[in-house]
Amino acid sequence: MTGTGQMAAAAAPTVLRWDARAGSVDEIERELARIWASADLEVETPHGPERRIAARSSVLNLVVVARRPELGIRAAATVGGLSGRHPSRTIILAAMDPDGPSSFDARVEAACAMPTMETFESCTEVIHLALGGETGRHLAATVAPLLVHDLPVVVWWPGDPPLDSEQAVALLELADRLVVDGSSWSGDGLARLAQLARLTARGRPTVFDFAVVRQARWREAIASVFDRTEFQPYLRAIRSLDVRYASRPDTPTGTTNVVKPVYHVAWLASRLGMTVSEPLVETDSGDAGAEPGPIAAVAPDRSIQGRGRIGLLRAGRRVVRVGLRPVASTMPSGTTLRVDIVAERRRSALRAEVTAEADGVRVRAAIDGGPAFDRFYLAPRATDVQLLMAAIESGGRDRVTDDAIRLAGALVGSGAS
Amino acid sequence: MSPPDRPTREETGRRATLPEPATMLEARQAREARRRARGRRAAGPPNPLREGLRLERMPDPCAFVLFGGTGDLAHRKVLPALLQLWRTHLLPHEFAVVALGRRPYDDETFRAEVRSSLEAHARVAVEPAVVDEFLARVVYLRGDLAEPETYERLAARLGELDEAAGTGGNYLFYLATQPSAFAPIVEAIGRVGLDHETRAGGWRRIVIEKPFGRDVESAQRLNREVAKVFRESQVYRIDHYLGKETVRNLLVFRFANGIFEPIWNRRYVDHVQITVAESIGVETRGSFYEETGASRDFLQNHLMQLLALVAMEPPASLDADPLRDEKVKVIRAIAPMDPAVVGRDVVRGQYGPGWVAGLPVVGYREEPEVDPRSETETFVAARLLVDTWRWSGVPFYVRTGKRLPKRATEIAIGFREVPHRLFGDVAATPEPNLLAMRIQPDEGILLRFEAKVPGLGLDVRAVNMDFSYGSSFNVDSPDAYETLILDALLGDASLFTRADEVEAAWDVVTPIVDAWLDQPPPTFPDYEAGTWGPASADALLARDGRRWRRI
Repeated sequence: MTGTGQMAAAAAPTVLRWDARAGSVDEIERELARIWASADLEVETPHGPERRIAARSSVLNLVVVARRPELGIRAAATVGGLSGRHPSRTIILAAMDPDGPSSFDARVEAACAMPTMETFESCTEVIHLALGGETGRHLAATVAPLLVHDLPVVVWWPGDPPLDSEQAVALLELADRLVVDGSSWSGDGLARLAQLARLTARGRPTVFDFAVVRQARWREAIASVFDRTEFQPYLRAIRSLDVRYASRPDTPTGTTNVVKPVYHVAWLASRLGMTVSEPLVETDSGDAGAEPGPIAAVAPDRSIQGRGRIGLLRAGRRVVRVGLRPVASTMPSGTTLRVDIVAERRRSALRAEVTAEADGVRVRAAIDGGPAFDRFYLAPRATDVQLLMAAIESGGRDRVTDDAIRLAGALVGSGAS
Repeated sequence: MSPPDRPTREETGRRATLPEPATMLEARQAREARRRARGRRAAGPPNPLREGLRLERMPDPCAFVLFGGTGDLAHRKVLPALLQLWRTHLLPHEFAVVALGRRPYDDETFRAEVRSSLEAHARVAVEPAVVDEFLARVVYLRGDLAEPETYERLAARLGELDEAAGTGGNYLFYLATQPSAFAPIVEAIGRVGLDHETRAGGWRRIVIEKPFGRDVESAQRLNREVAKVFRESQVYRIDHYLGKETVRNLLVFRFANGIFEPIWNRRYVDHVQITVAESIGVETRGSFYEETGASRDFLQNHLMQLLALVAMEPPASLDADPLRDEKVKVIRAIAPMDPAVVGRDVVRGQYGPGWVAGLPVVGYREEPEVDPRSETETFVAARLLVDTWRWSGVPFYVRTGKRLPKRATEIAIGFREVPHRLFGDVAATPEPNLLAMRIQPDEGILLRFEAKVPGLGLDVRAVNMDFSYGSSFNVDSPDAYETLILDALLGDASLFTRADEVEAAWDVVTPIVDAWLDQPPPTFPDYEAGTWGPASADALLARDGRRWRRI
């Protein structure tokens, strides 16, 4: 054990840090016990001896599965960014060389932010586990004895979680909440989205997807149009939903992540009680979302690049066309650029369009071509630290997210709706 | 955006002077007219896309009209709260603040003054660029609030902002002025038709600061004046205590935990103590405090609200009216006070010189703007009974005061003793269980229970299980004003006080202050600054075989 009771920083709040290494679960427990026992000592500060750390509280277990070293480093930085807001035990798992010999290497860190006039004492524990060979394939067995009793278990799985794999299933058995970022998945992300939808349909653990949370302002913008009483009847008369998303020039089909565009459609459709009639299929870009009939179609766009996707939703007897269209853009691939909603009712058409702007989203609505609504929403991009904080703070099941993920799964053909 | 449907002066005047219905026929016609009006205003079915967007909901575009814009409250609380909401992207892009005051400022000089007060009072450091963005939305309107012309200029300015800033005809009027100005401002707003909501969606709301009246009669009068212009659903009476995070947590504690409700009644609860203690004196508010005293300043509002939240029945929902219905039922159930009861169950006091936090402080009568012979109470304690099925016979002891040893707000539920003292021989002084909810500072919940002292013998001692809010949720809690202003902008009135609630609270407090007027002058000062009030406060509980909890 090193660094016992030493001052890590002179700036307020004073943070006391300890660390140790361990080669087994038993050793980790022994080292943690030793750290907390030794922490119960008087601490020297520039102002003389200060109070002891008499008690610590924890509110959750956070398990981070980082299957690549760079993910582990980034995840550790994100967890560090929580700044002790959530006293917790964090276990960062890195599976090394699955075909090599079994290995178990642990680094145990503990930190206590001493109370100040404005803040309370807050202690955290971080266990970095590097597991090699066969051991790395039994994550659940390694993690289970390290969890603080009876506290919620949040599993954050950055990168590409193999959600259908045996090891993931076993680990998620321990979890109350799974945190993922669907917009970071490799390829188009749809196969994994289908897996996530199946997991959501099982009901446990609850799912928190950064990609859903990042769309909050878009949802607010779309919802605000229909706060207007006179526009609400159009919600039951939607004919088409069209989402355009950024795609790099010369990107082969199937390599742009389209999870966020799918979520836009899935959220709206699930809130309006729609079901999937025909899952999304690839199509020539010019057709995606094109709307025949009396309402002006979304005009074919020359900026559209690559193949889009189309599908059909059903709302009662009404069919709703869905289109996802890639558009050449300098924005990160998969970023939503625009959502168009077209509704027709009693020979009157409402068109709502929500577009991404530099620092937010703008929503405009027109009735029969006449402008009827125009509003701008600031939408600063949430950092991973903010998103992880939200994932930890929001308790319980979020029915709206669940519904959206399940419908997204049906849209991509998971059969989880 | 279409212009507001403003009534003519004649219409406004006619509405204000409508006679009360006298016969059944008139009453039925009036009710039908009200139903028709409600039907016109009805917001339609709920927007299904709103489900789950509670935390993401952004207020409508709007103008925040701040009366008393150059005053202390505006600069210390309201504007910093707005800045914080702006910083955290909780205000709409199409937002403007119109501050009214008499000082000869223009927009720029006012913004400079606001900038310096934001530096002094902002809860967290804010980037200069964000402050600039916020201040760009602040405009100043110089005017005498007693002059009708001021309101005509205000209406014109708001119309301009609707066009230029896209505020959409939605106005929130915030009265951060002297209480005496409330009624004239409301009347003047009505005179220029700024109270009228429009079919195109322009809403109008008014936030009124405490004190709301100084007795039952003045509160009723003020409610009547306000009701001549605004519907009750447009009125937000602010008691900032209700916006405090831990006060809101009271609702969660009571109604999200199944284990407490079965014991939350006279069968298990022996008594309840509610303390709102301040270590500060009257500071620069001597003249204000001379007119109010502890009863009007704290008992009528903060203490009554805390009592209501502790004692109320579970509401059907947390919507504004079900919640307020239950609170008002509790306040109305408080046993009435006659002079004899006041003499027996209510204690007042006034601080003399003493020491607080290691510093000498003057007595109340030596404070600036205070009459050297003042009879104003700076401390009040009362034994209240809530005559309901749940609480019959359970005394609620409440106390509040200035220059007490520390700043602390706490609710303590004292439970009954066990029916049989099985460990009577070994426990020195068996203490009944106690549940204490600390509102401020060091927010948290404490449960006291008996435990065996380790060893060969069978000694029993009381131990505390202490949940500290801050150490489990080491997060930045919003200021009460941020919570309440955002709620008002969103149209959520659950944390605001309704007219009948205010009047019911005055029904409790007015007989107390009236009874004191008929009693001989008190022998003030009767407690030393830095102590827990007069000895009579201790006697109030000692009489029942109890004592105030040490805080």
